[in-house]
Amino acid sequence: MKQTADVIVVGGGVIGGAVAFELARRSVDVLLLDKSLPGRATSASAGGLWPVGEAVGLGCGIIHHQSRAASDGISSELVLPTVFRDFLIRSNECFPKLAEELKEISAVDIEYESEGNGLFFLYFNEDEQRFVETIASGLPGGSKFKMLDANEVKQLEPQLTDDLLGAAVLANEHQLNPMYLAEGFKRAAIALGAQFRHNTLVTGLCREADRVVGVQVGDQVLTCNTVVNAAGAWAGNLAAAAGLRVPVFPVRGQIVLTQSLPHTLSACLSTSGCYMLQKKHGEVLIGSTTENTGFDVSVTAEAITQLCRAAVQTVPILRNVGIKRVWSGLRPGTQDELPILGPMENVTGYVNAAGGFRTGIVAAPLTGRVLAQAIVGETPDVAIDPFLANRFQRSTAAFA
Amino acid sequence: MIRRELVILGAGPAGMAAAITAGRCGIRATVIDENATSGGQIFRQPPKSFVTSDSPADDENAARGTDLRKELASLGDRIELLPATTVWGYFPQRQIAIRNEQGWQMIEAKQLILAPGAYEFVPPFPGWTLPGVMTPGAAQSMVKTMKILPGKRVLVAGSGPFLLVVAAQLHAAGVEVVGVVEAVRRRDILRHFPDLLSNRKLLGQGRRYYRTLQQAGIPFHWGHLVTEAHGNESVEQATITACDSQSRPQGRSTTISLDTLCVGYGFVPRIELAQMADCHVQYSDLLGSWIPEVDENFETSVPGVRVAGDGGGVAGAIAAELQGTLAALAALHQLGQLDASAFEQQRTPIVFRLNKLQKFRRALDQIYRIRSGLLDLALPDTIVCRCEELTRQEVETGIQFGGTDIPTLKVSTRLGMGPCQGKMCWSMAARMIAAQTGKSIADIGPVRVRPPVGPLEIADLLNPQLLETS
Ligand SMILES: Cc1cc2nc3c(=O)[nH]c(=O)nc-3n(C[C@H](O)[C@H](O)[C@H](O)COP(=O)(O)OP(=O)(O)OC[C@H]3O[C@@H](n4cnc5c(N)ncnc54)[C@H](O)[C@@H]3O)c2cc1C
Ligand SMILES: Cc1cc2nc3c(=O)[nH]c(=O)nc-3n(C[C@H](O)[C@H](O)[C@H](O)COP(=O)(O)OP(=O)(O)OC[C@H]3O[C@@H](n4cnc5c(N)ncnc54)[C@H](O)[C@@H]3O)c2cc1C
Repeated sequence: MKQTADVIVVGGGVIGGAVAFELARRSVDVLLLDKSLPGRATSASAGGLWPVGEAVGLGCGIIHHQSRAASDGISSELVLPTVFRDFLIRSNECFPKLAEELKEISAVDIEYESEGNGLFFLYFNEDEQRFVETIASGLPGGSKFKMLDANEVKQLEPQLTDDLLGAAVLANEHQLNPMYLAEGFKRAAIALGAQFRHNTLVTGLCREADRVVGVQVGDQVLTCNTVVNAAGAWAGNLAAAAGLRVPVFPVRGQIVLTQSLPHTLSACLSTSGCYMLQKKHGEVLIGSTTENTGFDVSVTAEAITQLCRAAVQTVPILRNVGIKRVWSGLRPGTQDELPILGPMENVTGYVNAAGGFRTGIVAAPLTGRVLAQAIVGETPDVAIDPFLANRFQRSTAAFA
Repeated sequence: MIRRELVILGAGPAGMAAAITAGRCGIRATVIDENATSGGQIFRQPPKSFVTSDSPADDENAARGTDLRKELASLGDRIELLPATTVWGYFPQRQIAIRNEQGWQMIEAKQLILAPGAYEFVPPFPGWTLPGVMTPGAAQSMVKTMKILPGKRVLVAGSGPFLLVVAAQLHAAGVEVVGVVEAVRRRDILRHFPDLLSNRKLLGQGRRYYRTLQQAGIPFHWGHLVTEAHGNESVEQATITACDSQSRPQGRSTTISLDTLCVGYGFVPRIELAQMADCHVQYSDLLGSWIPEVDENFETSVPGVRVAGDGGGVAGAIAAELQGTLAALAALHQLGQLDASAFEQQRTPIVFRLNKLQKFRRALDQIYRIRSGLLDLALPDTIVCRCEELTRQEVETGIQFGGTDIPTLKVSTRLGMGPCQGKMCWSMAARMIAAQTGKSIADIGPVRVRPPVGPLEIADLLNPQLLETS
């Protein structure tokens, strides 16, 4: 096994995979190192591709903000900056082509489903309705919600509860299988010449003055010109090993998955209590909590029962459905909910690919591309400046 | 959440013995079992409505089972029995989540004894997913508890003394048993014969079963394997092939017509809850499975959590009963209900009896251990992971692309992501990884389990009141 590469990517989740794939297709000599740790976000993820939905705080966002606000009211503060929303929209647009490419190069079907009804935010009372209307009014034309009343919604999704008032619809927000996306990136990267080493824990970064020159794997040193930190929720720990401050923290998400069911849902559903989507193999996925519980990946009975209750309130027939499995994963969280991408001040040979938080799956294609472009010296399709780590130095108050 | 002094999971011989021991000592144990009646696997009871006057008074097992159940019943309300109740999860600090028809609840136990028993082991082989192919245990429970016949022409195949029991029971129930296929060669047994003589009673039992089959003219194929099941809608034929000492098919094949094929290669402990509790587990080459590490009082690495019976390494009903008793004594001692001398006094004779069973048990484990050839019967297009319908080829590809540890293989192929959580496919997957990487099976590690263990419906979780707090 070789001891050196041009670029070493640490972390084999969807982000590391995307970066390796984009580097390999640019003929870069890339080596990816991964140790699948309990909590790997990509394996835990729902696979929702909800660029606008998440950017305006639906899907997982609304749950997150409710748990943060600790009050019952929902506010429009949860809307993320436009640059990030645009980033996600653009990334989402990559999927139709990407799905074909990955199938062709790697034979992996990422189960990208563009036939669904889109993402529905379901509202049950006037407060919630006002909330989405406020958000909708701030959106640019193309990504506006379509508002449906209860009857219209039920015609599209007959399994929904009668208690519904209406729904806001984002027609272009779909889903895929996140594990297969990561696997597709990985196998395609290998097919294009990348090297992967699994079950390999990077224990440190090797730094010479203001340059990162390689990584440490136990007592072995692997050298390279650039290290990409794609270590998910563990990215902060990895960076700290080289004296770098990358403020990523784990945000636990618990999920309930039902047994496989016949066709039940066409849309991805978001409510203020949970989100739901039916996966390709027929299971209905019910997500998710957002908890700051460190690297603890246990599941809790409270969370499971809460999610189940919220799901049944929305789709009553789920009541008598079996639970196949529950699990949790660790989102790579950041304080301002934006990813941390690109190089850092005062150090060369080092690039962040971190902080995917609750949109790492939808953001992966573009994240991989712009970082690969930056590494090989092309002009990135989308500027990465808003996502640089140095934003935290400028306003230290932003995270304590 | 409610609190209990002593919670026992499983009402097989191990769990029943533990509860009886506690009851005698004045401690009201809470006993949970997913079945409607107690007895566990060996003393499996027909539901009350099924008992017919001609139910065969099975054998000594049934008698022992009746005794234990009587004793359990005589405890009256010195036992809290929760039948038809599943333990679906373990949460930190000995909290276990249970469910039944009424709903769900969390019980926090001061002392917990896990006595979940074992499940049957079946390695993948071509045709094993055809309807009509089942485990011997499934066929047994059809005749024993449901009083229905699994088929008209049944072949019983695999390995271990259990095959004799099932073949005899099927025969007695009126099924035409077209043969018994045992992977172990006769001479492999003879080599261990001196050790088997250490327990003439059990040996005698086995021989009686064997003789019954011979008298009935049922062909016995030593040193053979079912290498393929054939059929269109359901199984119609099985190919059996002679095998070597490592259970690798070698030599002549014959085809046998049948409508039901029972295949089982012994038992593997149910360790999901122990794993969920974070108990240290170790790989046993002899048993071909992971087992929780326990001390002489059957305590795991997690304080207050004990494992007894087949769930700690398959040892049979008698050992299970003794282990359950010992685990309960130790738990009672911990709870301050038995002083040191009473504990020692009650413990010693049981330890003595348990040790006496050792030699026989080791011999059986040696004779019937799962040999590597069994995990190589699947062809490239044979389903290996039944839940996710993955073929051997697909798993092989996953391994080639770096799935050389279980977590990576799992996320790259979905292997083990189904309801069985890898119980069925782990051995095969681990063996395939070992073959590709040269790693030992022990280094590859077990699958990680997640709740729920066993069936759990969303509706169960909507109703959180199931027991009185007392
Ligand atoms: C419950 C849940 C639901 C989600 N739903 C969605 C959704 O619907 N849509 C969406 O877009 N996003 C969703 N996300 C977020 C998304 O899953 C993540 O943002 C994304 O997977 C992050 O990918 P990653 O590659 O950065 O991290 P990970 O997938 O965690 O990968 C990091 C990898 O690096 C490895 N690693 C870490 N340290 C080291 C080291 N030192 N050496 C070697 N390897 C190391 C880890 O073990 C892991 O394999 C969800 C997340 C969760 C938890
Ligand atoms: C299918 C089968 C058939 C067998 N038949 C015979 C036979 O005919 N003759 C013979 O000599 N030996 C037989 N054995 C072996 C023998 O049954 C065991 O050696 C003995 O019963 C072990 O006792 P135990 O108490 O450890 O486990 P068991 O008797 O298996 O009892 C464990 C009990 O725990 C319950 N349980 C497990 N997990 C949960 C959970 N999560 N929630 C609720 N309940 C749970 C199980 O349903 C079971 O009732 C059989 C084993 C099996 C698996």
